[in-house]
Amino acid sequence: MKKMIFPAAIAVLLLILPVMLTSYGIKLTAEVFIMSIFVLSLGLITGYAGLVSLGHAAFFGIGAYTIALLGKFVPNTFVLLASAIIFAALIALLTGFLFIRSSGAYFLMITLAFSQMLYAVAYKLKGVTGGSDGMSVAASLDFGFGPISGSMGLYYVMAVSVMICYVLLRMFINSPAGKAIIGVKENESRMRALGYSVRSYKLLAYTISGGIAGYAGGLYAFYNYFVSPDTLNWNFSGQVLVMIIIGGVGTLFGPPIGAAVFVILQNYISSYTERWPMIMGVIFVAFVLYGRGGIANLLLLAWRKISRRQKEINSPALNSSEKISKDETKGVTEA
Amino acid sequence: MDLSILFVQIITGLAYGMLLFMIAAGLTIIFGLLSVVNLAHGALFMIGGYFTFTFINQHLNFWLALLISVILLAILGMLIERFLLNRMYGKELEQVLLTFGLIFIFTDLVKWIWGSSPKSISIPPLLDASLTIGVVTFPVYRLFVVVVGCAVALLLWYIESRTRIGAIVRAGVDDRHMLSSLGINFKLVFAGVFAFGAGMAGLSGGLGAPILGLYSGMDNDVLILSLVIVVIGGLKTWKGAFIGAILVGMVDTLGQVWFPSFSMVLIFALMVFILLIKPSGLFGKGVDA
Amino acid sequence: MSLLKVEGLSKSFKGLQVLKNVSLEVEPEERHIIIGPNGAGKTTLFNCITGVLPINEGTVSIQGKMIADLPSHTRVSEGMSRTFQKNNLFGKLTVEENVHLAVTARKSYRFKLFKSLLSYKDMQQESQDLLKEWDLWERRNQTVDELSYGEQRLVEIMLAIATKPTILLLDEPTSGMSPAETIQTTKLIQKLPRTISLLVIEHDMEVVFSIADRITVLHHGEVFLSGKPEEIRNDQRVKDIYFGGGALQRAEA
Repeated sequence: MKKMIFPAAIAVLLLILPVMLTSYGIKLTAEVFIMSIFVLSLGLITGYAGLVSLGHAAFFGIGAYTIALLGKFVPNTFVLLASAIIFAALIALLTGFLFIRSSGAYFLMITLAFSQMLYAVAYKLKGVTGGSDGMSVAASLDFGFGPISGSMGLYYVMAVSVMICYVLLRMFINSPAGKAIIGVKENESRMRALGYSVRSYKLLAYTISGGIAGYAGGLYAFYNYFVSPDTLNWNFSGQVLVMIIIGGVGTLFGPPIGAAVFVILQNYISSYTERWPMIMGVIFVAFVLYGRGGIANLLLLAWRKISRRQKEINSPALNSSEKISKDETKGVTEA
Repeated sequence: MDLSILFVQIITGLAYGMLLFMIAAGLTIIFGLLSVVNLAHGALFMIGGYFTFTFINQHLNFWLALLISVILLAILGMLIERFLLNRMYGKELEQVLLTFGLIFIFTDLVKWIWGSSPKSISIPPLLDASLTIGVVTFPVYRLFVVVVGCAVALLLWYIESRTRIGAIVRAGVDDRHMLSSLGINFKLVFAGVFAFGAGMAGLSGGLGAPILGLYSGMDNDVLILSLVIVVIGGLKTWKGAFIGAILVGMVDTLGQVWFPSFSMVLIFALMVFILLIKPSGLFGKGVDA
Repeated sequence: MSLLKVEGLSKSFKGLQVLKNVSLEVEPEERHIIIGPNGAGKTTLFNCITGVLPINEGTVSIQGKMIADLPSHTRVSEGMSRTFQKNNLFGKLTVEENVHLAVTARKSYRFKLFKSLLSYKDMQQESQDLLKEWDLWERRNQTVDELSYGEQRLVEIMLAIATKPTILLLDEPTSGMSPAETIQTTKLIQKLPRTISLLVIEHDMEVVFSIADRITVLHHGEVFLSGKPEEIRNDQRVKDIYFGGGALQRAEA
């Protein structure tokens, strides 16, 4: 039961947060949620399966364009979002089948090239996608009780979505398949020697990850009313990878933190100076040099220190709190 | 299509391929020895172009401007390796974040210093001519770029197989621990290799500027194609980069003539095709990086 | 019928012949030890049998079923399991998590997506039994990296056992262990049920002779001699090429 307190507190906080925010803040936070889902999806393959992709925007973009293109003909939100997920997952499955034979830097470059190709297609197919001008989204978000268009409505849709994704992913990484994927990241040759099909597990993680990224892209299309080829660009993939690293690799709560920090920083800095890319770049570099494996890991270190101190104060009843911090840290990789 | 246009396209494709080769070769050499995917390599290429542009505007002649740019880029590369990258060896994600951050910094710096309107460099007068053989007219500058590319390939071949430095680098690519056990100052070797790669990117950028022009976003175009070349040719081998660069340069150029919308798709199809036959690339040894 | 049968196996790297026409068999319940000087090709042989390396020529079969073309991981479901010469474990995971992975490997639910792994009671029970049997119960919540080398060596064997093999390949199980740990491990190997046949690479002659039913001597990638322990012990040629005479006497003493 104790384990549930923290997540429940976060959930309540997310639900009452809009009261404290300006309308701009609400819109920005909704964007953070969408990005969080996307970052979680990439975090799954990067942090747990050890696959570093620089082309994950491909699946986000596929999801977004699915809504934009299909939304012209099908108004139903459920159908549209399901299509975004399935279509992205399917492409992930097919390309993953080819890409997962390679690993490390090779995988990174191949995924990048793939997403750039999709970018080029979206950019050049002016008749269908509107090319660099992008295209507007005709369908609106409607779960059966009227279209949701206000920023408050969008906020809650995104908030609930991110919580569902988080819970599902949390369940997944504790499942037999999820544990096996962690095993693959830790030691492929041993997993093979134990009889696991390493490729199947990587492909599984990649497909699930692609589907979730597609969902994030679909939500984004509804949120933004507009889709452009930038959603497919490798720069976007790179930014998402940066969010993971800032947040903390190999954790589930790191990616949302990274997304929040990145989006808010970017908005904040760019409202003050045109030179925001340079400042962001300097922050990234500084983060690599001094970040110690991400904010999540720093928080975990702090948490462990606090719980150790608590342990010293009331030493007999220490087991449960220690157990929690141990559980939380298991997935954390080295800094 | 007119035969002479076709020939010109082929030379254009080859010249583009050679520019890409110089970048991709730097990428693979750096990757081979340092195991770093330098995402900022395209940005170094771009800076090389802008440096050359600036020195020419200071009334230096093209060749001198090019030489100074290459040297400056090599120094920049050395600084990056010595002060930033050397703490990241073996940490793939950190390298990605670092080099990605450098892209942000460099591209924004370029925008800041040179503005975002496109710039151009005129072809040096000596080579601003065309050569007519029969019915076909070749632009001399592009031919020259092809010659330089081949010369660089020859130089790489010579360094690799005939010099002590080449032997050291080759040994280091096979087994990094060997370097230290041989009593070689590998810090110097690493910095040198990175500086060499950056210098080549600078050379390519300067040489390419009269053909490609200078514009924001050029770093991106070139980086993507170079990475595709590395994948096609195989990691850790500049020979693979040479063949891959010619292939990609040709497919890109000719593809834009015949299928203007889909040259990128063609290149990708080429990559997928090669990967299906040979997962480690044309000249690659192992799939695992 | 032999449980494991290797026939005419050859393997070369870049023209260098590492294994030449190697044939050997492991009978049900047999404990078969491979000895040979460094560089004889013993670990390469293991890698070829388990499918980590493709072979150039020859066949490998388990209970008459050809497995030389099967991918490495599917050989586990044929009853083959192995350990590695250098510890090859999940260092950042706890000992318990290591065992969980090994036990789950052959379960039908290993692809289940959302149900917690810990909710499978049979897996929990098997893991607990293994941990207790191998004297690692107290260590279960420590990461493998935190264990002593000898303990890690035990985890190495325990993981291989956890997949319930009928033929177990142990690659130098006692290498790097202290004398006390070597004795303990040898006892644990001796105590393994006879339903698990063993193919073992080992250097320590005391260990070899206290386990072996049969010994095969590998030399320069070829089977030099194969026979009962006494035959090997008393063979002058083996003494000459391999032991230099001394090691055997020490083992006899």
